[in-house]
Amino acid sequence: MVDQIPNLGRESEMLEELGLSTMDDLFANIPEEVRRTEHLPLPEPQSEEEILGDATRILGANVHLDSMPSFISAGLARNFVPTMVPMLATRGEFLTSYTPYQPEVSQGMLQAMWEFQTMVSELVGLPISNVSMYDASTSAAEAITCAVRVKSKKASQPNSVYVSALVPPHRLSVIENYTQGVGIDIHILPHKTDGTLDLEAAASAAGSCAVYVEQPNALGLLDGGLMQLRSAIGETTALIVGVDAVSLGVIEPPGSWGADIVVGEGQPFGIGPTAGGPIYGLFACTKEFLRLMPGRIVGQSIDSEGKTAYTLTLSTREQHIRRHRATSNICSNETLIALMGAMHMALLGPEGLEKLATRIFSSTCKTLDAVSSIPGVELVNPGGCFFREFAIRLPGQANKALESMYSDGVIGGISLGKWWNEMSDCILVGCDEGTTESDISALVKSIENWIGGVSE
Amino acid sequence: MSTVFDFQGAPGSGWSQPEPISTRISQIPEALRRQNLPKWPRASEPELVRHYTGLSQKTFGIDTGFYPLGSCTMKHNPRVNERIVQLPGIDRIHPLQEDSQVQGLLSIYFEMQEMLAICSGMDAVTLQPVAGAQGEFTAIRCIQEYHKSNGESHRDKVIVPDSAHGTNPASASMCGYQIIEIPSASDGRLDIEALEAAIGPDTAAMMITNPSTLGLFETNIAEASKIVHEAGGQMYYDGANFNAIIGKTDPGRMGFDAVHYNLHKTFSQPHGGGGPGSGPIGVKEHLSQFLPTPIASRRESKDGDPTGVGDGYWYFWDDVGEGSIGKVQQWNGNAGAVVRAWAFYRRYGRELERMSEFAVLNSNYLRHRIMNPASDVAAKIHCMPSEGAKADLVMHEFTLSMSPIKEMNGVTGKDFAKRLLDYGYMSPTLYFPQIVPECLMIEPTETESKEVLDKFAADFHEVLSEDPEIVTSAPHTTPVKRVDEVWAARKLILRHPMTDSED
Repeated sequence: MVDQIPNLGRESEMLEELGLSTMDDLFANIPEEVRRTEHLPLPEPQSEEEILGDATRILGANVHLDSMPSFISAGLARNFVPTMVPMLATRGEFLTSYTPYQPEVSQGMLQAMWEFQTMVSELVGLPISNVSMYDASTSAAEAITCAVRVKSKKASQPNSVYVSALVPPHRLSVIENYTQGVGIDIHILPHKTDGTLDLEAAASAAGSCAVYVEQPNALGLLDGGLMQLRSAIGETTALIVGVDAVSLGVIEPPGSWGADIVVGEGQPFGIGPTAGGPIYGLFACTKEFLRLMPGRIVGQSIDSEGKTAYTLTLSTREQHIRRHRATSNICSNETLIALMGAMHMALLGPEGLEKLATRIFSSTCKTLDAVSSIPGVELVNPGGCFFREFAIRLPGQANKALESMYSDGVIGGISLGKWWNEMSDCILVGCDEGTTESDISALVKSIENWIGGVSE
Repeated sequence: MSTVFDFQGAPGSGWSQPEPISTRISQIPEALRRQNLPKWPRASEPELVRHYTGLSQKTFGIDTGFYPLGSCTMKHNPRVNERIVQLPGIDRIHPLQEDSQVQGLLSIYFEMQEMLAICSGMDAVTLQPVAGAQGEFTAIRCIQEYHKSNGESHRDKVIVPDSAHGTNPASASMCGYQIIEIPSASDGRLDIEALEAAIGPDTAAMMITNPSTLGLFETNIAEASKIVHEAGGQMYYDGANFNAIIGKTDPGRMGFDAVHYNLHKTFSQPHGGGGPGSGPIGVKEHLSQFLPTPIASRRESKDGDPTGVGDGYWYFWDDVGEGSIGKVQQWNGNAGAVVRAWAFYRRYGRELERMSEFAVLNSNYLRHRIMNPASDVAAKIHCMPSEGAKADLVMHEFTLSMSPIKEMNGVTGKDFAKRLLDYGYMSPTLYFPQIVPECLMIEPTETESKEVLDKFAADFHEVLSEDPEIVTSAPHTTPVKRVDEVWAARKLILRHPMTDSED
């Protein structure tokens, strides 16, 4: 029996008060022609015990990342989330609140989001942050549409945006969906054979509305040349940089080298990979973009007695007021996950962030050294400096190699053939703070094992 | 006022981590190295637990009290769902793992796709969109590609009633469509004549929610669908109000081609502070080739298949194909929300219609109690609100206009809403839909008891009887008094200034 409805079994009393006799009377306004007459062909209701039992059994059929050495990432981190974070974020007041339309009874969440905005702002080196987008890809896409709104009138290449070729294809697809209808032309910026952005080619973006690049790029490569990108494209073109948020514990934030908008995946702070969502997108920008940016923003204010208070602000950009002229259609965002992110960031502190980034960088270097010394394995970008991931080329098909490695008990990464056909012999190897020396040994052994099998 | 930035312990003394597994940090080129660390707080776990617990106590949620926020379906969030998503089989899963490693997740996706298709009368479902607005956007993108594939790219207009959620016109606009807003009829319902006047060979789609934001079922919906289809347009159903109709009717029967669902509303995924959501869409067969990719599929198990979930099927991510619009979220949607919604749905199963029945019962009951005070209570009330729309029955929500009260003693809808906060309630949705002056939009949901509804109605009457000055200066008992939104928009203090002058 359904157990979530307090009035179940008391309906006749309430119906009587309404002058009705059956529950169906409540639906009398639904015309016969569109009425559903048969019951839903669904199973019997379950109790909490049965649901938990089924969930445990069904989800137990998944192979989770902590059950074996795992090197899968692609920008989504197999992170360690402090225990405090889910315990506090699932306090009922936080968990079951909603958009703080009534600031007087939402000061806690509003303050937490204002603190989140501040920490994101500090992290990326830009003055303004919103309270989250859906994910890194929608952040990037809406950063582009925002930049076009701001820059198009004065641009010598109006409606043109240049995007690095080394952006993951799923992100490029999201960008295309968000830009195709509003007349934005996406041009692709080439990279050199060493994986770094071709700065000479990037100069062609001068006069366009925006350039979008990622640091590190889709193959984990940190590209020092990007810090010269601002001078390559000139002052009038918006520079949008997608980041690995944790990397900014050791890498200079794009706000310091000319970025106008910084976006990225917030997930490493706050929540596990959780099969790809709910996660949250970071979105930070300079003042120039403030009034045309997407998403919700919290501002400090005062109450009627002059006491410090917080409230949503600049709502006139948003869909519930501006309708089709809104800066975005975003309404529900990812605030609860951003709250988890804020808690995680606060617990790390500046030095904790630096240490976390250092741990990931160290495990990336150590894994790279070990893997690249296997005969037959080549680095796709030899001599590069990498954060969280790097790409290797194998003497054979990557998907076959990954199957073989999995049968040895190792999740070896992602076959890059899924992203780019010409890279079907390449694997993207992801490392994180949880990577251990024995994980690396297991990875090396599983690759050697497969190569041994191939050459036999 | 204290903030998290007041915590300034000794550097590095907060939360401890294992040491790096090598000392290779010097390999980062000097030019790339960060010069100054971000000014984050330096806090320990005990300090932060108290900080965030304090903030939670200044936050109102469904757990705190009645949350009749119309159109937002703020129902109870079953707690076992939170326990389930902490299982490593969802929390510690990567979306790019091979099918053989995620049979459980895929089977839940498949079950949810099927269930949503059944409840909505659609043929195919994707769970990729992560919010209602993104669902709208995704469906309009599919409709756009459908017209393109028929050589009808000239269709550049989307029709939206003036009572629609703001996300509808915003989503269509992001796809490049022009918006034609049509006025509601005098009874608040869809105006067929206005629709006929707006429709034409350039119509790409009509977006409409049913029941409407006035809480009224659009009785002429089948006729509207016919008109739009005859003009070659597509019908889009905004599922924000799906909680009203499950098992009683469905968008397929009403003639819709595409629909989005709000798993965070109808299926209770908690969205504290404003999200996360989950906004799957369902479409009829002719639109299915355009859906975002991939969707979950299955075939019967064969000898040699690795162990699955033990139900005789092998599940897999199925590429939607060349017609697909690609991705709207970079992975496969908010999987954690899908799993919670699955656990919620399993609680109801074939009884999902009970949910809608009691949501509609509670709404009508509350409306009746508010609008029909006992005579001794009525004698004390200065002025009654008027109905947002004339109707015998409403669906899961209803609107009231506070205009009569404003005219009589200057108490606005906003004042009234703020006073309800003092009584321990979240305010109803305020000033929406815009076609109802001084609107309060009230949605009790099925998870409230009769006693809560009775008490709310009684308190509502109490506020209607109060000295107007008490109401216009409300709230009085909240952590802060009425917040100055104009001040915030003028000063734009959008982050902590990081000076030492923090008071």
